[in-house]
Amino acid sequence: MEAKLSRISRTLTPSPIQELSHLAQRCGAINLAEGFPDFSAPPHVKEAAISAINADLNQYRHVQGICDLLAATMRQNYGLDINPLTDVVICCGQSEAFAAAIFAAINQGDEVLLFDPAYETYESCIALAGGIPVYVPLDPPYWTLNVDKLMKSFTSRTKAVVLNSPHNPTGKVFSKEELQAIAGACCKMDCFAITDEVYEYITFDMQKHISIATLPGMQERTVITSSLSKTFSVTGWRIGWACAPASIASAIRSIHVKITDSAPAPFQEAAVTALQSPPAYFKFLKAEYEAKRDFVVQMLSSLGFQIRFKPQGSVFVFAELPENWLLSDLEFVTELIENAGVAAVPGCGFFHADPNVQEYRNRYVRFAFCKSEATLNAAAQKMGELCKLQRMPGSLIRKKILE
Amino acid sequence: MFLSPSLSSSDHVMLLRPFSTFRRALLSSSLSNTPRTLGSFASHSTKTTLMASISTASTEKGASSTDQEPQKQQQQPPARPLQVAKRLEKFKTTIFTQMSMLAIKHGAVNLGQGFPNFDGPNFVKEAAIQAIREGKNQYARGYGVPDFNSAIVARFGKDTGLEVDPEKEVTVTSGCTEAIAATILGLINPGDEVILFAPFYDSYEATLSMAGAKIKCITLRPPDFSVPVDELKSAISKNTRAVLINTPHNPTGKMFTREELELIAALCIENDVLVFTDEVYDKLAFEAEHISMASLPGMYERTVTMNSLGKTFSLTGWKIGWAIAPEHLTWGVRQAHSFLTFATSTPMQWAAAAALRAPDSYYVELKRDYMAKKAILVEGLKAVGFVVYPSSGTYFVVVDHTPFGLENDVAFCEYLIKEVGVVAIPTSVFYLNPEEGKNLVRFTFCKDEDTLKAAVQRMKQRLRKI
Repeated sequence: MEAKLSRISRTLTPSPIQELSHLAQRCGAINLAEGFPDFSAPPHVKEAAISAINADLNQYRHVQGICDLLAATMRQNYGLDINPLTDVVICCGQSEAFAAAIFAAINQGDEVLLFDPAYETYESCIALAGGIPVYVPLDPPYWTLNVDKLMKSFTSRTKAVVLNSPHNPTGKVFSKEELQAIAGACCKMDCFAITDEVYEYITFDMQKHISIATLPGMQERTVITSSLSKTFSVTGWRIGWACAPASIASAIRSIHVKITDSAPAPFQEAAVTALQSPPAYFKFLKAEYEAKRDFVVQMLSSLGFQIRFKPQGSVFVFAELPENWLLSDLEFVTELIENAGVAAVPGCGFFHADPNVQEYRNRYVRFAFCKSEATLNAAAQKMGELCKLQRMPGSLIRKKILE
Repeated sequence: MFLSPSLSSSDHVMLLRPFSTFRRALLSSSLSNTPRTLGSFASHSTKTTLMASISTASTEKGASSTDQEPQKQQQQPPARPLQVAKRLEKFKTTIFTQMSMLAIKHGAVNLGQGFPNFDGPNFVKEAAIQAIREGKNQYARGYGVPDFNSAIVARFGKDTGLEVDPEKEVTVTSGCTEAIAATILGLINPGDEVILFAPFYDSYEATLSMAGAKIKCITLRPPDFSVPVDELKSAISKNTRAVLINTPHNPTGKMFTREELELIAALCIENDVLVFTDEVYDKLAFEAEHISMASLPGMYERTVTMNSLGKTFSLTGWKIGWAIAPEHLTWGVRQAHSFLTFATSTPMQWAAAAALRAPDSYYVELKRDYMAKKAILVEGLKAVGFVVYPSSGTYFVVVDHTPFGLENDVAFCEYLIKEVGVVAIPTSVFYLNPEEGKNLVRFTFCKDEDTLKAAVQRMKQRLRKI
């Protein structure tokens, strides 16, 4: 009966990252791997959900209030003018919004440009829709956009560019110049831009998140996707959205309705409360995450990691293994879990371009800092001990050096 | 593992997923060309849907009318407008959007929407609230919170006698809608033949189109909507990949009998066909015993059994569903699921586990309540002059409206809203060929008794033969 599986599903394999996360679980490791918080969601948002459940708002719903608030926020934050009645599709998380956008835009054989390193789910989604992912490597160590590489990646089959900013795993926030280059290319080649902006409120050092839809010629071809999850620490609620011009949003809505039909009703109600949080909430969110970023960057640096690129946004640090450490990222992370009881994500899972070109693909480890102070302190302590014990983490390293 | 593209050299790198043939273009010709009158009803929350369209006749991407050489790669802006994918059908909002507005405008009693106007049991709501308070608000394990998977397996065991592995054979999804989408996208290849029984819940057809399937439709006809045996036998062949069964059945309320299921099973075993079952109304089985196809001999290994929380516990907006299947089929379902929604609402899963552990008395009471509601509606519909077809399960009843002299189901529903102040659903939307459903409309009785009585009263007072 295995022969009955669709060709697509048979080509999708479980990731080494998943396996490491099982190892981490088995070892009870401190989890700096997964990109979700171990601290509480804000009380006012939780209470709103509880009120909704108690108020019997538990049947299929579409909560227009979310669309109205998003329209207002986009106007205020980004200067974007969207129609809340037609341009917004509420989905089960940004995951579903992205999947629906891909299914709405991508035909068999269409090419989709992705910037590498990239969150692993995008390409599988694209493949499921019959599309072909094409990777444009960002240049280390600062993960800069190489416009030449970008332009050379377009073909007559390119249908869309996927833009994740602030970026997972590097923490890069695409600059205005970079966005202009991408926008120029999209307009010239008449492509969609499909964005993932889930970390839009988590930027540091006065860095501003810019939505590419605000650039000339872009609103008509951009699908913005985002969600409540990271902004309000409710990754398990599954409330996200896609914003696009009416005809495109309509197509996305049609797909969404077939995939899930609607997002969880009480959490849609809570979203209305969340999206009305005062400016102080967002300031606080930023400040908290910036402090965590600083802590983790400092910790990793003191352990010998090369942090040439300090994250400008998101909840991740993409740390480069020190030059004289000969372990691969996978080996290092295994070592870290087993001997220090701390889990992180090996960077190789995020690199998809030609291995011959990306010889650095095994040199990076992603650490998440969306964790409580207690967790981060404990992780720092454990990792520090490991380093003290062995001068450098891992007996494997010593073996390699001695060989 | 990777196929190299046959493009001329360039700096960019392409990775093709390692499958040897691309998905074929969608077979839009297999679907009806008659205009679909679909749209959203009242709020977005009903089961009828919007279908968006981009004409497939417009210039195809890449097949530019200008004289481009093949493989021309760079810097030539193609001369075609931005299009959405061909998999989307023609967009028709007209009738339903109008009716939604009409319904509100006329303050009509809504027996069209397939969800309750009463709420779920307190113990389930409390469990969700507790989960939220306890901080269970982050990503759940992709295929389900372990405790919930266990509860699903326990309930399934009680219902079917089958013992399944919660870790390997259960996938939790955002409602049964997503279970269907994940099953179809995960297990159906473009060009695969899938058999559907009409009338059908509208997402089946659209999702099968998304997967590029070739749909073969067998119509169930009044008065008892029984499976036409000869038609079935000639429809199923070695070319068939899967059969989709919804029992108890929306919209007719039919329940597939043991004989029907055994016949389908025999044909599936003989021809090596998969079965996907949608059993969301299994606890609303009134006149007959609900039978899961997976429990028939030889069938578990080839069946995906789908269900959800919403109908049984009157919490349709929570979007908690699941698919139970043997490991080799679960694999495909989980793959698709992980790229469709990644994970399902965490606090609701915890609450759903509590729900599924409800004592038998809950289900007894549920049935009793619904049977009382059904009696009110059915007696009323008969008294008013509809031909009422017997419904064994679900909270739907289909009736023949033709005694009232209107030309088709859509016209009748419009009339019913405007002149009588009651909403029903025209069933033509549930058929590939809408003509087949034009005599029927669907009423729901998942409403409190006062609402049902009010609707019946209005029909008695105002519904007249034209």
